[in-house]
Amino acid sequence: MRWQVMTGRLAASVMSLILALAGLFASQAASAEDVLRVGMIPDAGATQVSVEQKAPLQAYLEKALGRKVKLIIPTNYNATVEGLDNGSLDIAYLGGLTYVKAHARAQVIPLVQRKTDREFHALFITQPDSGINTLADLKGKRFAFGDINSTSGHLMPYRALIKAGVDPDKDLKFRYTGSHPATIKAVAAGVVDAGACDETVYHAMINAHKVDPNKVKVFYTTPAFVDYVWVARKGLPASTREAVIEAFLSLKAHKDEKILTILRGKSFVRANDQEYDAIRSTAKKLGLF
Amino acid sequence: MSDWSNAWSTLVSFFPPDLSLTYLWALRGPVLESLGMTVGAMVLAYVLSLPIGLYLGMRGPGSRPILWLLTSLRAIPDLTLAIFCVIAFGIGPGAGLLALAIFYAAALGKVLADLFQTAARGPMAALRATGASRAQVALYGLLPLKLSDVITYGSYEFECAVRSSVIVGAVGGGGLGAELVGSLNAFDFQRSATIVLILVLMVALIDFAAFHFRRRPRWVAILIPFGAYALYALWPHNITLVHAAHTIAGMFPPTLPAKAWATLPTLLLETVEMAVFGTLLAVALAIPLGMLAARNLTPFWLAIPVRRALEVLRAIPEVVWGLILVAIAGIGPVAGIWALGLHSAGCLGRLFAESFENVPVAPVNAIASTGASRLSIATYATFPLAIGPLAIHGLFRLEWNMRQATVVGMIGAGGIGQALYEAQQLFFYPRMMAYLIITWLVVLLVDALSQHTRRRLDGAHLAIEERVH
Repeated sequence: MRWQVMTGRLAASVMSLILALAGLFASQAASAEDVLRVGMIPDAGATQVSVEQKAPLQAYLEKALGRKVKLIIPTNYNATVEGLDNGSLDIAYLGGLTYVKAHARAQVIPLVQRKTDREFHALFITQPDSGINTLADLKGKRFAFGDINSTSGHLMPYRALIKAGVDPDKDLKFRYTGSHPATIKAVAAGVVDAGACDETVYHAMINAHKVDPNKVKVFYTTPAFVDYVWVARKGLPASTREAVIEAFLSLKAHKDEKILTILRGKSFVRANDQEYDAIRSTAKKLGLF
Repeated sequence: MSDWSNAWSTLVSFFPPDLSLTYLWALRGPVLESLGMTVGAMVLAYVLSLPIGLYLGMRGPGSRPILWLLTSLRAIPDLTLAIFCVIAFGIGPGAGLLALAIFYAAALGKVLADLFQTAARGPMAALRATGASRAQVALYGLLPLKLSDVITYGSYEFECAVRSSVIVGAVGGGGLGAELVGSLNAFDFQRSATIVLILVLMVALIDFAAFHFRRRPRWVAILIPFGAYALYALWPHNITLVHAAHTIAGMFPPTLPAKAWATLPTLLLETVEMAVFGTLLAVALAIPLGMLAARNLTPFWLAIPVRRALEVLRAIPEVVWGLILVAIAGIGPVAGIWALGLHSAGCLGRLFAESFENVPVAPVNAIASTGASRLSIATYATFPLAIGPLAIHGLFRLEWNMRQATVVGMIGAGGIGQALYEAQQLFFYPRMMAYLIITWLVVLLVDALSQHTRRRLDGAHLAIEERVH
């Protein structure tokens, strides 16, 4: 009987130790009121663990704004918008379609965007030997979209397919991978025959050798559209908004290379709501808004 | 063919798990978040459900509608509740904690009410005759009568909650689940394997603790300070009830466009198929595994490792199997069937093993005395004798899997669950609400049918096993 008492005590003490630690770490995360909470796009590897890779961006913002900054990577685009709406995020990085929805739902305010976001493209990719060379070749194939709310991973590729006479709902076996890197990796691994993704993510992954360039090729590029934008939640003070805008506008090539690589851009410009009218009407037409 | 070779090469890429110290250390936050969520939510759930259970046990006025409310809440899967809480209270462990607290308060409230209502009336009538108030009867009569059952059921729910804490993370509820989704999306499968290993260890740890709580109920008290602390630390810091109410009001009235009505039968059929084939797969796996795990059929050196393997299958919830299988086999009902099948095989394997062990000894001995081999005894005596309980366990599982088929649908296995999730993701909340109500009605219907069957089969003694999801 005695060993049972012993193991019982052991179990209890192990439990209490773990629980004590739980509280400790959790309270660290929850405290501090003046933290600016920044929502990132659900990237591949969108884990709190991988937030560490984005530490230079966090450090830059903290220095520029003079306050603590917490980077949060939600599991999907919807959660980011709801986070802005209920105040658990202060600023966030959104794709075009997500922005349109967030603006309608939560009255978010556009701040800045990369120059390239004004003329963005989505890429259709496949394996080099798949025999797929045009959008029409996709009929009957396994296809990957990114997040259902992604502009370059769903909305614009969807539109391009419809225009090419391919109805995704009838002609494709498609899935949502949840993010651009996941789509690219799924194509490279042959889990799907083809996929659509964001051009900057694609080139960044090729350049960083995160995907084997011999396993993927681009076979179609969409016409240009407006995509990503940094936004603030409705109630964020104007002074904070201006400080964030200033911080992004003063990013300079060469000087801030590390941060610009994380943001996959060269320079930032102010953003406004009218730019997104085309996305709004496309989304309405396709039943996604 | 290429599908299978792809699936195989993906499966291989999970090994070996990333056990580097830097990664394990980096996971401390998510692990503690998940554990904190579990303990905090369960303490809250116990505190809420005990008075409710006692009140219903005393059959206080308005018991019926309260019971009905609990049953309806319980029919909403934990994953769906988590989606709601993320919408209403923001991303992070706070939303996960609230979702778990609501789900388990309803589940426990219902279980406790059922328990208290079956208490012997005699002692309570005696107490009442002394002039004791209703509250006194509840505290000094009803509660002590059923205390050991309360502890037993409570600890079973605790084990379920630790698995749920990972599930809610998958939709923005923080903790280990969020990390798992992230690593799977990144095709970082060696890290996914690490997370799954940690989950299995966590379940084993809670299992171990729960086992001792059942023997020494007083130890449960140590959970209270830690639960309270976790509640304090993880509580969503900006609960705005106005915002939550506004958002939920925006989901009404539930509406489905004509196109969605047209596809509804197909979606429902797909979900039912997933549940049926998932259960069949589980039964097919659990019969041989259960035999190999039964102490009276198999030598211990084989039975013990098989039992451990069953525990691992069971420790990984359907949703986690689903996330892994969707990554391996691609999206679709096949992934859902395997997800339900593998987890259920773990549960059924254990129950089947017990059924085989519990067969009457005499007929088995009779066959054995003819000099029959172990295999012949199993085939001609043990198996036919156990077939009744096996069928009942299988039916319970089918009922449970009906619910879970919707949930695995949400993570990409198709059916009505996927439609619900896509509507939610696209912010078509009235449409999401419509799907939610439809699935909820289907679950309630299946529950009612099963309860009816259970009464006829007189499966009262199986009630406790049903709780062991």
